[in-house]
Amino acid sequence: MSTATPPLFHISGTGRALPGDAVSNAELGRAFGISESWIDVFVGTRTRHFGRDLASGKVTHTLTDLCAEAADRALAAAGTAPADVDFLVLSTATPDALLPTTANETADRLGLTLLPTYQLQAGCAGAVQALDLARALLAGGHRTGLVVAGDVTDRFLDTGPDVARLPAQELVNYVLFGDGAAAAVVTADPGPDHTALAVHALLHHFAGLGRPPGQIVGWHGAAAPDPARRMLFEDYRAIEAQVPDLAAQTVAELLAASGWAPQQIGHVLPPQLSGRMTDRIMAGLGLPAASREVSCVRETGNTGNALPLLQLDLLAGRLEPGGRALAAVVESSKWIKAGLALERPATGRTEDRP
Amino acid sequence: MNAVAVVGLDCVFPAARGAEAYWDLLMRGGDAIGPLPADRRGYGFDHTVRGGFLDDAAAFDSDFFTLAPREAAAMDPQQRLLLQCAWRALEDSGRSPASLADTDTGVFIGVMGSEWAQLHMADYAAVTPQLGAGSSAGMTANRISYHLNLKGPSLAVDTACSSSLVAVHLAVNSLLAGECSTALAGGANIVLTPALGMVYRQMGLMAPDGRCKPFSRDADGIGRSDGAGVVVLRRLEDALADGQRVYAVVRGTAVNQDGRSNGVTAPNKWSQRAVVAAAYRRAGVRADQISFIEAHGTGTALGDIIECAALGELHAVPRTRPCAIGSVKGNIGHTEAAAGIAGLIKTALALHHRTVPASRFATAENPQLRLAERGLSLLSAPVRLPAGEVFAGVSSFGMGGTNAHAVLAGPPRGPRPARRGHPAAGVFTLSADTPEALRRNLAAQAETLARRPRGDAAAVCWTSNRAKTGLPHRAAFTARDTAELAETLRRAAADHLPESAADHTWRPAAVGFLYSGHGCQEPGMTAALYREHPLYRRHLDDVDDVLGPHTGGSVRDLILAGDPAVHRTRWALPAQFAVACALTRTLAGLGVLPDAVLGHGAGEYAAAVAAGVLELPDAARLVAAHAAAADTLPESGMLAVRGARAEIEDVLTAHPELFPAALDGPRDLVLAGPAQALEQAAETLAERGLHVRALRSAHPAHGPAAAAVADRIHTAFATLSPARPGIVLASTRYGRTLADETMDAAYWAGLAVEPVRFADALSALVHEVAPTCLVEIGPAPHLLRLAERADLPAGIRLLHPAPGPDATGADLAEALGGLYVSGVEPYWDALYEPEHRRAEPLAPYVFSDARRYWQTARPADRPQPAAPAAPGEAPAPAPAAAGEPAAAPRREPGGTPGDPVLSAVIAAVVEVGEYPPEQVHAQARFYEDLGFDSVMIMQLKDRIERHLPHTAGLSVQQLLPALRSVGSLAAFVQEWAGAKAMA
Repeated sequence: MSTATPPLFHISGTGRALPGDAVSNAELGRAFGISESWIDVFVGTRTRHFGRDLASGKVTHTLTDLCAEAADRALAAAGTAPADVDFLVLSTATPDALLPTTANETADRLGLTLLPTYQLQAGCAGAVQALDLARALLAGGHRTGLVVAGDVTDRFLDTGPDVARLPAQELVNYVLFGDGAAAAVVTADPGPDHTALAVHALLHHFAGLGRPPGQIVGWHGAAAPDPARRMLFEDYRAIEAQVPDLAAQTVAELLAASGWAPQQIGHVLPPQLSGRMTDRIMAGLGLPAASREVSCVRETGNTGNALPLLQLDLLAGRLEPGGRALAAVVESSKWIKAGLALERPATGRTEDRP
Repeated sequence: MNAVAVVGLDCVFPAARGAEAYWDLLMRGGDAIGPLPADRRGYGFDHTVRGGFLDDAAAFDSDFFTLAPREAAAMDPQQRLLLQCAWRALEDSGRSPASLADTDTGVFIGVMGSEWAQLHMADYAAVTPQLGAGSSAGMTANRISYHLNLKGPSLAVDTACSSSLVAVHLAVNSLLAGECSTALAGGANIVLTPALGMVYRQMGLMAPDGRCKPFSRDADGIGRSDGAGVVVLRRLEDALADGQRVYAVVRGTAVNQDGRSNGVTAPNKWSQRAVVAAAYRRAGVRADQISFIEAHGTGTALGDIIECAALGELHAVPRTRPCAIGSVKGNIGHTEAAAGIAGLIKTALALHHRTVPASRFATAENPQLRLAERGLSLLSAPVRLPAGEVFAGVSSFGMGGTNAHAVLAGPPRGPRPARRGHPAAGVFTLSADTPEALRRNLAAQAETLARRPRGDAAAVCWTSNRAKTGLPHRAAFTARDTAELAETLRRAAADHLPESAADHTWRPAAVGFLYSGHGCQEPGMTAALYREHPLYRRHLDDVDDVLGPHTGGSVRDLILAGDPAVHRTRWALPAQFAVACALTRTLAGLGVLPDAVLGHGAGEYAAAVAAGVLELPDAARLVAAHAAAADTLPESGMLAVRGARAEIEDVLTAHPELFPAALDGPRDLVLAGPAQALEQAAETLAERGLHVRALRSAHPAHGPAAAAVADRIHTAFATLSPARPGIVLASTRYGRTLADETMDAAYWAGLAVEPVRFADALSALVHEVAPTCLVEIGPAPHLLRLAERADLPAGIRLLHPAPGPDATGADLAEALGGLYVSGVEPYWDALYEPEHRRAEPLAPYVFSDARRYWQTARPADRPQPAAPAAPGEAPAPAPAAAGEPAAAPRREPGGTPGDPVLSAVIAAVVEVGEYPPEQVHAQARFYEDLGFDSVMIMQLKDRIERHLPHTAGLSVQQLLPALRSVGSLAAFVQEWAGAKAMA
């Protein structure tokens, strides 16, 4: 199978960084006094990772630590030397500091210098936004870039003793989220052995005109916090209602842009709201039942910006030569729909992964 | 193609100790120019002198190179710095310098004579043999060859300021001609006298501020500087085949001469252009392909103009971007003999990092140079080099008109083998010459690793196995993850090293393999290792293939399924045998072979295979027959008792049907017999407070009840033709090592019924082989526990490559690390998957700077130092030895402390080498510990005669055989004098 139009760009390697050991629902339940079965039934997430010690609250992995690790692994997987990276784009909602940016701290850790770096303040669609920017940079003459995305929860989830007394609406945040980062090496060329994933379409649209936010993540500094400011808010009803529709729209638009037929899609990377939601979203995408889901949220929790790249990292190990995949992402804070159409060239080989 | 790879490098320049610091200085646009250090000042050479000076050129780790302080103190610091640079550069190339010993490795060093010699050799009354060697320029190269035992060409070259780039040219040609397979090339320069500065001043070449300001309108001459640098070169195809990291590729070099120009020291535009053009031709590149040139760029007005004119004639061609030019002399000054290597290392690092540092003083470009119209530009800011193939040039011109140019290309950027999976375990190894040095280097490695992003440790470990082994004090750490490894190393460095991490390996390694016997099988034993480790997987598959026809089923499948049927006697013995043979073969594949083996009872089958007594198919048949026969015996049991034979004698009398099946230790016995009798015995013994434990064995192993097994073996294996063991085999049937007995059918039949004399066999093995480590070859630490309780001599490391059913590659790696620390030299490559056998950057070796040696002799016009130490003997430069007291003198077999002859010999040795007195004790060895050579031996004889007049007449030839240790020499002198007195 080949596509008439040349790919927009290529993804030659991916890598991930999930801090420490996986935290099971039982451990999470014990730490926060939350019912384990409640998590199983209503959320569907089995494990997640945290970049801090749950007992002491002490941070063990900063976002920079995770981003540098993921990027280094992606470079290793791509066989790219750090000196050959022409630009870096990092997306996150939860930078280690407003300044300096986590993008530049990550570049420093990787030994990168004299190259353009960007940090996107973004939600779950951040990785696709970063890839879109990478596409433009590659089209502008750069050869190789790094796209990194990740989030950490330590400022938003208080590990203090009063967690169990929170209302369910807030308590759910403790079981939904996890910390993590992932990265991709993007290239203008397919590489010598054509093993890179080819990106054939990329969608990235703001779709929130007139829609109230589905999610709010606040921040405050040294000044006394405004009690009216919401630090973490999710409108689950709105999210449940709107994400499946927006995801279905995204899939339709990606098919149109790539010129692919639904039955040619072997793998789907759906939005990763929670283990429960994913099943509902998959059902409404209008793709053949045979297409296989590539999800990570059940194992990683909602890791925000990292999610699409974590899914790509899984896809890299699964997509067979000639195989095609669609990724759909919905960012629910002020509603962005985004997605990718990906193909493994028929001459390439699946990465050997147990 | 003429392609020579730069695979390793190290340097020391003003304000930049090491390559990383050098690159940092360049990228910062740092300025290393300052006043002459106080310890060099003297007549005509004072605080007003400016230049680039090493702040600590006197520090030298003489002990590391086993150099006597007297000799180290007599050595030109150029020699000392080059020795250390050579070691670090070789390690940086991913290979232990020890691994190059005895090879055709060449050494090519550029030096401009020796100011050290000018200082020291003019005082004829003070010359010594040490000073003679220490002052020779040729010795800069020869020392490296001598201390690292390199046997290729070794030469110093002096073409004034182009010396070290000419040395690189000679090294490249030597490699391309096939004269050597690895070449060290470099140069050194240490400013010790004002003389050359005065010459420059008279020629109008000296910058008043001591700063080179290359290509600047302010350029007004040069400043002299110190420096040393060494690169390791290999033919590109060899470097790639050996998985070495390539900084850059030398694609072409050229050397020519000004000939009869406007004066012997005047530069010549035509010749400069010709040498650059010749290098381009050899490299097969056009001028417009060159991205940047590290120019000679001294910052003399005339020199800059001529160099730019020459380059302009080649580079004023249509091109998309001008060729950038710069010179490191703006940062560190003119390092003269080391200038070429300073430029080459800068260029190699620039290609490696794909970034060219800015050239200092570029913002004040000299308009007379007309750079723009010549296709040239100055680098006023660092630039990224474009992706794809990049070329760069390096120029170096000598005052006498010998010009050199080299064309370098970026490293080949092929895709590295990338495969992802479960991060594999590796062993990080480090070695050093003393425990203190080991700690110092552990801290350095930890610090460097901690700065990396967290990642898989396997490639880092593999690199360390190749580059960081070979010295006597060793440490090894199993790791999967770099962050955890960094933390482990940091803790080990801070913990003053647990004894387990460091060993003095003067004693050769001796390895004993202990094969466990009955009852140690576990369902799923080694299954995790099988799944993770390809080497073990292959060997278990192979052994299973051999066993299968005799057992009627696959023990491997049984093991992998975790089937409890493995406890049935029919399967237990073959399964244990398969695991033991596969582990033995796995260890052999990793380079670990036993010097002695011992098998506990039925464990002797696998031990006999390891010792070469039985072929695997014969042993497999034997084991299967033994197991099948035992499986048909009436059920019975075994009981392990923690008690002495005397404590249970009455129980054995009361139950004559019980039989002592194994004598495992002074307080470790196993009883066998019918279940009921065993139960009663267990009850009685437990009441006495003895620890008892029933063993999992459905059938009797050993004892009269096993007679049917013996009969079966006797009849079925009458034709068995065992070989003699190739190594020591301790027999648990006899309780001693095997002498002339053959392990024929009668032997094995006897083994099946007689008690297992493990304690005696182990004791015999330890006595005869003096093992440095014992390795349990079995799935549980059974024999190691017994060994722990056996009151063995101290210092035997107990290792277990497959402890328990969950053991993985990490446990195997851990055991391999223990073997390495015990003195074994494993074949590390076999531990790693091909994609992990890839060189990663590691911190270079950190030498001790505790000892300092600086000139104390003065040129003739300065006051002479204090009176000589002994009448009639010239004074040598004295070491300003600092700190680092050696270990306290140890007690001595070769002489009692206080013995006057020993004291006199020690005094004589201390004088000859000017050692710190605590370093010279009766056990100190002349060659290995004290670095003695023939010159020192001659001096020693004279000294001994002076201290002990009655030894007059003793000849050097007579002394030679006794020169093992100070103690052995003292004993010999004593004996000789005694015999003479008797005569």
